[in-house]
Order: sequence, then structure tokens, then C-alpha cells
Amino acid sequence: MTNVSVAAEWQLLYDRYYRKPEIYQMRWKHVDLSRNKVACASFGGPIAVIRDDSKIVQLYAESALRKLRIFNSAGLLHSETIWKHPGGRLIGMSWSDDQTLICIVQDGTIYRYNIHAELIEPNMSMGKECDEQNVVECVFWGNGVVCLTEGGQLFCISDFDTMKPSKLPDVPGLTEDDMLQPTCLAVREPKYTMSGTVEVLVAVGDEIFGVEEDSVQTFRVDEPNVNDSDVQNDDYVNLIGPVQKMIVSPNGKFLTLFTHDGRIVVVEMETKQIAIDYSCESALPPQQMAWCGMDTVLLYWDEDLTMVGPLGDPVHYFYDEPVILIPECDGVRILSNTSLEFLQRVPDSTESIFRIGSTSPAALLYDALDHFDRRSAKADENLRLIRSSLSEAVESCIDAAGHEFDVTRQRALLRAASYGQAFCSNFQRERVQETCRTLRVLNAVRDPDIGIPLSIRQYKLLTPVVLISRLINSNHHLLALRISEYLDMNKEVVIMHWACAKITASPSTPDAHLLEVLLDKLQLCRGISYAAVATHADNCGRRKLAAMLVEHEPRSTKQVPLLLSIGEEDTALVKATESGDTDLIYLVIFHIWQKRPPLEFFAMIQGRVLARDLFVAYARCHKHEFLKDFFLSTGQIHEVAFLLWKESWDMGKNPMASKGSPLYGPRIKLIEKARNLFSQTKEHTFESKAAEEHAKLLKIQHELEVSTKQAIFVDSSINDTIRTCIVLGNNRAAIKVKTEFKVSDKRWYFLKAFALATIKDWAALEKFSKEKRPPMGFRPFVEACIDADEKAEALKYIPKLSDLVERGEAYARIGMAKEAADAAAQANDGGELLERFRKTFSQNAIFDTLKMPFQGAS
Amino acid sequence: MAQIPNLENAPLNLKSIRDKSQKELVNLLKDIRGTKCLVIDPKLSGSFSLIIQTSTLKELGLELRHLSAEPVQTECTKVVYLVRSQLSFMKFIASHIQSDISKAIQRDYYVYFVPRRSVACEKILEQEKVHNLVTVKEFPLYMVPLDEDVISFELDLSEKDCLVDGDVSSLWHVAKAIHELEFSFGVISKVRAKGKASVRVADILNRMQVEEPVNSNDVGRPEVDTLILLDREVDMVTPMCSQLTYEGLIDEFLHISNGAVEVDSSVMGVQQEGKKMKVPLNSSDKLFKETRDLNFEVVVQVLRQKATTMKEDYTEINSTQTVSELKDFVKKLNSLPEMSRHIHLAQHLTTFTSKQSFLSQLDMEQTLVEAESYDICFEYIEEMIHKQEPLTNVLRLLVLFSVTNSGLPKKQFDYIRTELLHSYGFEHVVTLNNLEKAGLLKKQEFKSNWLTVKRTLKLIVEDTDTSRHDDIAYVYSGYAPLSIRLIQQAIHSGWRPMEDILKLLPGPHLETKRSGFPSSPSVDSLHGASNGVVDGRRSIVLVVFIGGVTFAEISALRYLASKEGMAYDLIIATTKIVNGATLIETFMEKLG
Repeated sequence: MTNVSVAAEWQLLYDRYYRKPEIYQMRWKHVDLSRNKVACASFGGPIAVIRDDSKIVQLYAESALRKLRIFNSAGLLHSETIWKHPGGRLIGMSWSDDQTLICIVQDGTIYRYNIHAELIEPNMSMGKECDEQNVVECVFWGNGVVCLTEGGQLFCISDFDTMKPSKLPDVPGLTEDDMLQPTCLAVREPKYTMSGTVEVLVAVGDEIFGVEEDSVQTFRVDEPNVNDSDVQNDDYVNLIGPVQKMIVSPNGKFLTLFTHDGRIVVVEMETKQIAIDYSCESALPPQQMAWCGMDTVLLYWDEDLTMVGPLGDPVHYFYDEPVILIPECDGVRILSNTSLEFLQRVPDSTESIFRIGSTSPAALLYDALDHFDRRSAKADENLRLIRSSLSEAVESCIDAAGHEFDVTRQRALLRAASYGQAFCSNFQRERVQETCRTLRVLNAVRDPDIGIPLSIRQYKLLTPVVLISRLINSNHHLLALRISEYLDMNKEVVIMHWACAKITASPSTPDAHLLEVLLDKLQLCRGISYAAVATHADNCGRRKLAAMLVEHEPRSTKQVPLLLSIGEEDTALVKATESGDTDLIYLVIFHIWQKRPPLEFFAMIQGRVLARDLFVAYARCHKHEFLKDFFLSTGQIHEVAFLLWKESWDMGKNPMASKGSPLYGPRIKLIEKARNLFSQTKEHTFESKAAEEHAKLLKIQHELEVSTKQAIFVDSSINDTIRTCIVLGNNRAAIKVKTEFKVSDKRWYFLKAFALATIKDWAALEKFSKEKRPPMGFRPFVEACIDADEKAEALKYIPKLSDLVERGEAYARIGMAKEAADAAAQANDGGELLERFRKTFSQNAIFDTLKMPFQGAS
Repeated sequence: MAQIPNLENAPLNLKSIRDKSQKELVNLLKDIRGTKCLVIDPKLSGSFSLIIQTSTLKELGLELRHLSAEPVQTECTKVVYLVRSQLSFMKFIASHIQSDISKAIQRDYYVYFVPRRSVACEKILEQEKVHNLVTVKEFPLYMVPLDEDVISFELDLSEKDCLVDGDVSSLWHVAKAIHELEFSFGVISKVRAKGKASVRVADILNRMQVEEPVNSNDVGRPEVDTLILLDREVDMVTPMCSQLTYEGLIDEFLHISNGAVEVDSSVMGVQQEGKKMKVPLNSSDKLFKETRDLNFEVVVQVLRQKATTMKEDYTEINSTQTVSELKDFVKKLNSLPEMSRHIHLAQHLTTFTSKQSFLSQLDMEQTLVEAESYDICFEYIEEMIHKQEPLTNVLRLLVLFSVTNSGLPKKQFDYIRTELLHSYGFEHVVTLNNLEKAGLLKKQEFKSNWLTVKRTLKLIVEDTDTSRHDDIAYVYSGYAPLSIRLIQQAIHSGWRPMEDILKLLPGPHLETKRSGFPSSPSVDSLHGASNGVVDGRRSIVLVVFIGGVTFAEISALRYLASKEGMAYDLIIATTKIVNGATLIETFMEKLG
């Protein structure tokens, strides 16, 4: 292995080296790029090939059926399908950023394919106007396309996700009567323009127009040579144009023009200044033009590929077969019928190591390893030479290794790096590991069977996450899983995709078997959403499998809605109930409620206590009538009775109703209806009686209101009604109510005594006390007087209390300590009562003395 | 002193939880540009007073309103509803929007659900045809720290919803809140639960750990060692008794809400006619921290002692010579506002505690708990009804009666219910029905086992000297709360030694171990976690009451935690702080 051989393959363009290693021998056979339309995705993506229908079909040499075939970058057939779409010729075909193949035919219809050559429904269209005019040219970028019609109009889809076509403003000269034809188109992606919308550059005649969503501007190029006074600024374009071909640089900053007289002009788009101006040998426009990273521009004519840089003579490459240029962020891939090459500027680190005669520290380190392997003492000498810049040398070796496609060379460079690292104390050791890890991933995906020839820079730009999503999209699940594990990334995406793909791909596998296979893998990833897989299974028409899968979903918030959507309402209800999350139960209830006839719904929830109770709670608040139906249908008649009873109160509360007495009739009727219902069950005789009494009370109260002409009776209790009667002096009515409701004497004495005390009718009270001997003594009288805070009156009755303790307490309550003590002393209960009095009396005194110094301090 | 408690000394970093909620709320509101009208449901705004200052909300350019049936009067074109997901609120919101539409007022509406959106609520908005007019989001507030050691899930109706309506939404909420705590403080390895709801919460919690595992690597060593879940239903006796601790009494008579009590300013010695004032009650008040858990009798003594010392200092000041003495005096003066505040409050309380009715009520409670004479109690209750004393008081005693006696004999049951309806009105038939459904007021079907429970767990402690307490019984002057006895056992020995007793109480029980840290399976054996003390910090036991806890019970737990030989710090979480009255009130529902 010698350094010389490496650099020998390089080409020098001015002071920069370029290299063009072959990455793959194409695996495909009988593919002639010149006879096909080809779309190659960037970042080492797939290649779509379809016969070019503008070319004559060679009889017998190829099939009359047109086939769309999709290969990976190594030419391995991935999928194919027969193309038989109407709508005229295929005008444009390109891969979008998310690797959807976008095909636009003459009438503006857009067919989309995924990487498995499956048509993505529905087909879209560029719009009706486009349809009438025929598409003649399409220019794509990662996430959008611009179409030019025969009528010279421009249509644009600025986002493939939304697929909304819009018409761009007309370009002067194109749509007018003189009907100039545009010579070429180019677009600047929305992310590079000031306005954030796409800018289309159209060359018409001598001029270039910049067309945006709502404006058209002439694109003028600045005069490079101020001394040239013969030429006016405005005319410079004329000097350049007509333009035959143009492209925009990958960063959107430069525009490359191929002029009518065979010059390559590179213009900076913001300042309009010319960066390169080079005359080619041919005035014929090149078939293809591409930027090689941001370094050079490639022009391709038959058999001749020319690379033009800012300075120096161009480099020529010769090909005896047609090639296709595939621009990447850091170079160009060159696809031919037989091979794929990657043209890039030689990275600085690589150059410093392998340039012929290089004495850079990195080159010496690399050389030192060589000596070391051959056990030559020169190794040590080399190391001494570069001691001071050793870490820089190690860094270069690592970097260069990263840029290599050749595994042996990667290994050699990394070995050199780790050899150097051993002598280098302050070096970040993770750098080697990191590069190793990255290279392992890159080498894995570069394998021809996978066929994604990413360079390290592309990989970093693409990010591992996107790489993994591309791998799983092309069904390389195992590799994706390994990479996820290796890079310590979340495996969920991969396993989830695999599970879904597996379900799609196994329509004839029995559910139980498939479930087993799926679970085996799903278990690898904790917290994975079984519900999502189940949803997919359901979408694939495998409801039973879905039901089996969702069983394994631990998160009930995901499980329950899915169960509902696959019609497993019973299970949904069980699961929701188990979760204890009442909100989920409500979700199920409403779902069933909406879907099923009431009776079926009732039967379903009647057996489930929690669901039933929740339904009742909701319906109580919002659906009274429906709730009644429910109770009736489930035989809970007493509940209906309660509802009716409640309604009768609501009716009474209604301000409109309380005015006119006729409403008492309906109210009483409702209560009687409730009573009837209560009486139908043995358990509710109490309620039945209460309702009966209530109805009776309402009637009496109503009569009282009529006779007293005062609306103060209705909806008060029996006691209150009696009290009101007494207060009004209507003793007869009071007695009547008393007898009607069999009010006990006990209650009656308290009631009347308190009522008389409230109106301070002490004479009547005394008279009442003497009516007959009170059946339970004089307590009611004492209590009533004390309650009314009328000591003098209370004293009339206290001595008549027969219980001494009671008497003592009564005295104490009206503050007569001495009498209280006397009674207590007689009470003979071991002085307990006395002690208590002492405490109460003394405690009040404490605070008065305490508070003095603190007045007003709070 | 602020109503928002200072959480610096909390055994768990509860402040971080509060800060997070605060930030989330502010961000949610900031997301809507311009001035807006914030309509909060009243209960929620109470909870917010423990998280965020009203001034902070106002700084965001908000007009604040309470949600009611009345349409919102505002100039703002953006109306933000911040509501708990309750069905009834949706009707208000819908009617507001419809009223705006009928008046051709164009506004942007936002409905933010606390703690999360709900299908049922949105369904109502849909049916009222306003769903497409509102932007729906959620504010995941699952808990509010009330103090250094108390967390509330702010689920006022949990007990009633579960026992009466069978709506167990609150259980999911409780589990979710505990799971959230686990995300901050690690997976709790030991779980002990008693009661139907508790066992269910433990089950849901396990499910959540499967569905959405707490990654042990993210949270480090679990700070909470044991989770004890207890249904209120297991012990309905305790809340029905009158609390006799200082804080408990304040709650009984003046009702503490969101860490503050509202009283007439005259009570606090401020002469402002008819004006109410809010007195914050939390551990930032040192004197309150010292006295809140004591029996009220002792509090009076403590206050007297402090006041006397102070008075002496006050008189000595005349003879004070040196500057340093003066300084000391001034330092002491700093505690003056606290002293004054509590002397005023305590005096106000004595006006209630000295009432005959209160004393007889205590008498009755004691009689019932001791299961001595049910007849006297029945007569007492009967008379209460006849005197038409407040219905809650009557029901409270009646429930205590029914629970300790496992129901009322059929005749008495029907009689007392009839008397209740006659006295208070037929509309209360639903309340009675609710209590019956919840099993709180029922017909006696079998003999009560309360006596056995009482005896085995030593619920009655004779001769408690309230000042020199050596048992939790001091909080009820002789009755040791059943709930706390159970927890005491659960902490010390787990359920196993007391299975026989547990079987006598409602609901199943459960004791499990969970693992949240597969990486180090043998933490227990490595650190000898049995003594609970690891690197100088005590392990924490999280005690969760489903259905509410009283202040007296909290006091009893604090007493347990402070006892010698206790290896754990206790954090108490509850669906809501309750007392007998507020608990009964949740069951009260009128027909009318």
C-alpha cells in the first residue's frame, strides 16, 4: 500500500484535487439510460426507470408494455409495476424528500408512487387550467414542483404534503400573441428566497424573469467590467442572453447560466455579480448541468463530462456510455449503465495525508504506522517529528477515514489515528469511537443489497433518524433495528413499522399465528403502542387480530377508544371500568348510547354497576325523561317516583307557576303519581306514606292560603304550618293540622310553646301550661323561654321541673349560679355537675382579665 | 400573615408541587393574549387562595368573576372559564354563551377544566351547541398543600359521590394525585389499604404504574416509604363526634375554609361595624403551630400562662435599665399580635363551648361512643327534632347513633324519619334516602359489633388528663379515634395482627409491596429500612383519607409522629378536610 497510488487517481482543477471513486458496479442488466426516463433520489436514494415514450420503440428489442421499475443505487431491482396511465406523455418524474415518486403527465395529472411501486391514491392534478394547456416541462425540488404549460403559464405545487396547486403570475412575452417560447427554467427553493415562496427563473428571449407568487421581476446581471463604457448596465443581459440552460446552486445562492454563445456564467443571485465566466468549446447546450457540491459546475455532452471551476482549466472526463448526474450536497454521483461513481472534491484531511510528497503531520503519522507495522524504527522518528501537532494529525486521520468509501483504507486510517492517539494524552478518545460507529453504520447501508451510498457528510445532514425511516420504508427492518440498537435510539419506530408491514404482508396467515409472531417482536420494546398496531390491523380488515392485539395495550386511554372503533363495545366497557378512569367509561357510554336503540343500551349498562351509576348521574343533570325511561325499563320504579316528586318541586319553584293556584293541582297530581309508584314495592312504604302526606299537606296549605289570603304556607313543613297558624292566632287551624297528621303530644307541646314564645304571647303560654298537666313536664316551656332569652318567664317554669339536674342546668343557663348550685347539690350525682358549673363560670372570667393589655394589638 | 402557608419545613418538598401548579396556571393564562375575564367556580377559587395570590392573577390583566347562573358582565372580548369538571357548570357556561349570542356579542370563550377535561362535560356543551365556540384545555391541579404536612385533593363530594351515587371518579383522581407525588418523590413501596375505595385506589395506582411507569432513575431514592389508605366509611364514628382540639373546635364552630377562618371583626377586637375579617390559620403562626393540636382546655391554660408572663414583662419594663434588656422585651413584643389573635379567638370559642346544648351534645356523643344507653340518646334526638334544632346537628347525632348501633330498630327508624319530615319538610326525603343508601342511617338488621371494636382497639381511654396526654384519646377527651388507632397499627405492624378486627369494619383490606426500582431490588435489606431512618432523614408515611379527615384526627396523627420511638414522619392527604357538619351537608339534598 502506498500513498502514491491513492493520489494517482485524483484530478487537479487549478489548486484543488477531485476524485471519482467507483462505488458500485450496477447490478441491473439491459438498462439503457439513454432510452429511459430516469429519476434518481439524492442522499443515495432509489432510482426510478421508465421507458421514455418520446423515443421510438425498437420492435422485438424491448417489451411493448411500459414498466416503471425502481432500483436501489446499486441497480438492484426493488419493485416494478406496469405503467398504463392515461393523460398523455410522462413529462416529469422525480423523488420528493420523503421518497415518494412524483410523476406528472401531459394533462397535469400527478401520479404518486411509494418506493414499492405502489400507487398512492388519490391521483392529484395540477389544476383544470393546466389540463387544458398541456404540461411541457416540470422542474422539481425536494418538496415541490413547477410546471410550464404550452400556453406559457406556470403552475406550482409548493408543498407535496398538502398537494395544493397554484397558478403563478404570467411572464411577459410568454402568454401574449407573439408567443415566445421560454428557452429554459430553473427554480430557487422556498427555503432560500426572501419571501419564503418559490422563485421560478424563466429565460425568455434575451431576458430572464424571476417569478414569485405575486410578482414578476426581470433578473439583471451586474456589469463586471466598469471600464467597458460602451455597454450599458441594462444591456448586459442582452450580452449574456439568450440563455440556453440554467441551474441554481444547492444552497440557492448562485445561478449557473449556459449562454447562446457557449459561455458558462455563474451569477451570485443577491448581488447579481458574476463569479465565473468561462467560454466552452461548444455552443451547443449541454444535455445535463449540475453543481458538484458548492465547488464546481459539471456540464455533460455526449461522451464528454466537463468540470468547470472558478479558476484554471476545466477537467474533462470521457464516457463511452450515457451518464446521469445526481447532485448531492457534497458532490455528484455519476450513474451510467454499468457503474455508479461519486465525484467529489478531495477532503482537506485526505489530501493532507495522501497528496504526493505531503509532509503534513497527518501524512507522517500515517507513514509512521506503516513503519511500525514493518517494525521499522522510522516509526518512532516520524512520531518525534510531529510530536507538537500529534493531536491535529490524529484528528486528520479520523476525519479522512470518515470520508473513505473503501473499507481497507478506512481501517488503515483509523489504525493510524489510534496509533497516534496512544502518544497523545489530551485527545478526546470518543472521536475514534464515534467515527467507528458512524462508519459501521455507513458501511452497512452502503452494502449493494441495501444500496444507500451515503457519504459521511450526507449522513450527518440526513440524520440517523431519517436514515432509519428510509430503511424501514424499504423494508430493511432488521438492519434498521440493529442500527437503532447500535446507536442507542428508540426502537419503537422500527418495531412499530415492522409490525404494521408484517400485518399488511401476511393476509393469509391465521390470526393466532400472526399474533404470536407480532408479540414476539413487540415485546422487545417497552411502552410500545399496541393500540397503534391494532389500529393498523383493523384498517387492513383484520378486526379479530386487532381485538387480540389491543388486549395487550397497557394504556387504557389508548385501548378503549380503539376497542370502540373496532366495535368491541363490551370489552371496551369492561376495560374502561377496570381502569377506574370514569372519563373513559363515559366515552364508552356515549358511544353505545349513540349507536344503539335505547332499550338495548339500557340492557347493556344495567348489568354494569359503575357504568349505570355514571349514566344516571349524567342523566340526572341533563336527561330527565330519558332517565325515567331507563328506570322504568329496568324496573326501578321508586327511582321514577323520586324523579316525579322532584318535578313537582321544580314546578313549585317556577316563578310563573307560583302565582296562579291552578298549578297546585298538577303538583299534587305528580306527587300522587309518585305515591302510587312507591306503593308498588314493599320496600318503599315509608316513602309512599310520606308522599301521601305531602300531597295532603299541600292541599291543606292551599286551603289555608285561600282562607287567610296569605301566600305563606305552601312548601313549608307540617311543623311550620302549625306554627304559622298559631302565630296568626288561628288555633283551630293549628289543631286541625295537628290531628290530620297525628302530631304527637310531645312535639305539639314544644311546637306551641316555642311558637308562643316567638310572638312573646306569655299569657297564652301560661294558659297553655295550665290547660292540663303537660304530658312530659315543663321542659318545653323552660326551653322556649330560655330560647327567647326571657329569664323572668323562664323562672315561672323552672321550679316546676321535676328532674333536679335539669333544674340546676336551667338555672345555670340563665346565669343564676347560686340556684344552680343549690339544685346541683341536691341532685346527688357526686358533685360532677357542680364541678362543671364551676369551670364554665370561671373560664369566662379568665379571658376578661387576659385581654386587657392586648386591646387593639391585633 | 398570608393565607398561603409557608412550606419551608415540610418533610416532603411540597413547595415544589405548589410552585409547579402556580407556574402552570400563570402560563395557561398568559397563553391568551390581551385582557380577559376569568370566571372561576367559587370552590375552585377557594383552593386557588392556597396556591396563588389574587394580586398575581390581577397582574396578568384579568378581571375576576365567580361562576354562577347569571351571565358574565364584562367588557372583555375574551372569557376564560376555569372550572372543575362538574356537569352543572356546563349548563351555566352554555347559557352564558347563548345569552351573548342572543345579544349579538362576539367573544372568544375558553373553558379550562380542572384537573382535566371530561367527556361528559363536553358532551353537554355539544348538546347545547356551544362546543365549537369554545377552546378547551386543562389545568392539571390534582392537589393543594394545605400545610407542611397536609395535602388536600379538594374533592368535596367524594364521600357522597362514592357512597350514594356510585360515582367513583374521585378515586381515579386520588390515585392520579398519588401517582403524581410518586413522579416527584419516587415509587412508594409498601401499601396498606382498608375499605372498598382504598383498595380500589391501590389497584388503580398499580395500573397507572404499569401504564405510565415512574422511572426510578429520574427520581432517585424513594422518599415515601409507606402508603396507608383509609376509607372514611370505615370510621364514620369519629367525624360525627365533636372535635375538642383547638383547631378542631374552630372548625366546628366557625368553619375553617382553605386555611383561614372568617369572623366578625368585632370578635378580633377590631371595632368595625358588621365587617368580616379573614384570619389565616397555618403553621406560619408559631403560637398556632404550638396550640392547634392541643385540647382546647389546655390551650386556654397555655394562653393564660403566656399572657401572665407577658404582663409581668410589661410591668418590669419600667425598671428596665440596659439596652439589651429592652431588646429582649421588644423581641417578646413581636409575639403580641399572635397572642392577641388567639386570645380573641379562644374567647370567642368559649361562648360556644360553654353552651348547655354543646355540653349535652358532648354528653350524648360520649354515651353513644361508649354504647351505654341508646334510649336516652334516642329521646334526646327526638327532642332536638321537636325543638327544630339545626338539621345537620340532628342528623349528625342520628348518624352516630345508627353507626354505633348498626342501625335503628324498624319502628324507631320509621318514627324518627316521619318526625324529621314533619318538622323540617318533605323535601328532605332525598337526604334521608341518601343517608340510607350510604348506610349511615338505616334499619337495624343485625347486632352491632361496635362494642367489640371499641374494646379490642381500646377506643375509650379512662381518666385522660387532657393536659398531660399520653394517648391520642386526648383529642376527643377520652375517645381515641378509630381511624387513628387503625393507622397506628398499620404503621407499627401492618394489618396482619389485627385481621379479625378489620373484618368487623366495612370493606376489604389489602397489604402489598410494590417495586419501582428494578435496578436495586434489595434496598430494604441493604439499608435496614425497618427503622425508617436513612441518612439522618426519617422515612415518610403517607396517610390518605378517602372521604375526608377531621382536624382532630390530623392532630392525633401529629401527636403520633412526635411520640418517642416513632420512626417516621407523617404526611396526611385527604379528599377534603371535613367535620361532622360538612360531611353531613354533602349528603343533604333537597327535592326543592
